[in-house]
Amino acid sequence: MKHPMMKYLKETGPCGDRFPTIFCPGCGIGQVLNYTLNAVDHLIAEDGIAPERFVFVSGIGCSARVTSQYLRFDATWSLHGRAPAVATGVLLGRPELKPIIFTGDGDAGAIGGNHFIHACRRNLDLTMICMNNGLYGMTGGQSAPTTERGTPSTTSPYGNVENAFDLCRMAITSGASYVARWTTAHPQQCIQAIESGVRKKGLAFIEIMTQCPTHWKEEPAKMVRNYRAKGVRFSKEKENEPLKKGQFWIGELMDRDQPEWVATYQKIIDRFKKAESKGQRT
Amino acid sequence: MKTEKGVKKLHVEDKYCKGCGICVEFCPPKILKKSKKMNSRGYFPPESAEMEKCKMCGMCSLLCPDFAIVVSAE
Repeated sequence: MKHPMMKYLKETGPCGDRFPTIFCPGCGIGQVLNYTLNAVDHLIAEDGIAPERFVFVSGIGCSARVTSQYLRFDATWSLHGRAPAVATGVLLGRPELKPIIFTGDGDAGAIGGNHFIHACRRNLDLTMICMNNGLYGMTGGQSAPTTERGTPSTTSPYGNVENAFDLCRMAITSGASYVARWTTAHPQQCIQAIESGVRKKGLAFIEIMTQCPTHWKEEPAKMVRNYRAKGVRFSKEKENEPLKKGQFWIGELMDRDQPEWVATYQKIIDRFKKAESKGQRT
Repeated sequence: MKTEKGVKKLHVEDKYCKGCGICVEFCPPKILKKSKKMNSRGYFPPESAEMEKCKMCGMCSLLCPDFAIVVSAE
């Protein structure tokens, strides 16, 4: 008997078998892919969104390998950090589509930082799933903008001297409609967050803390357990409380209704069409 | 083991498993353990000797990064 999500995945390709996946043993990216497919499965069954309406866009990095290589959906493997830009094009070309962006912390926070900020600012109807493992995994474990201060990595053997980015806080400040952070130890919560992200009009940014057992040199199960222990459940009252070293907020950090780009632009088009049909000059 | 749903079965796709041990660690009734038999890639896939204790929660199948494990009742 096969895994129920196998119906959305390509088992073989022109170069032979695609499974087992290319990811290291215990990599969290496979788990995030599993949660995303579960969420997409629910959306197809409950909301009646046709599978052809999902478009998966990714940049470069470990996180980007999931789209065109494994998914049976329409997918693009785009430029490094430019996945939000490509997804913007997809959405503006055909507004009925539902682009889902797979991105990593280096892809979204470092190389594509500007694209990420401006996609949030425009509040386009995109869903962004960011897998944050706190380092550059594909190139060999160098310290990324999300590596915590004082943590040793390949490029900072005596501890990282830089301050870390909080991608969720950046998305909130830039104007995203829905922002949530979970870890790979929270499967049901991740699925629900991705579902509400796709349903939400406006940009949904979902950060999933993902383990990289190869470069952090730890047991995968131990890392997942640590993530579950370190996550502190977010609530509005506790927002200003200081967190201990290594801890982070988890939960729905922001859920608000803001004007969405495509809908706003459609209003302008409609206004001109109405005036044109009446023969007025605008 | 027979229940009202049928016989509970654990299916592990041996050649997909990378032996990370996440399913073993996170199984709520703790009935999975790594088998002694190695697969073709040199990893030890999970197995279960006490399937009657299985709650059919599907956690192993949800947490598996390699789409290798499914529980069914037939």
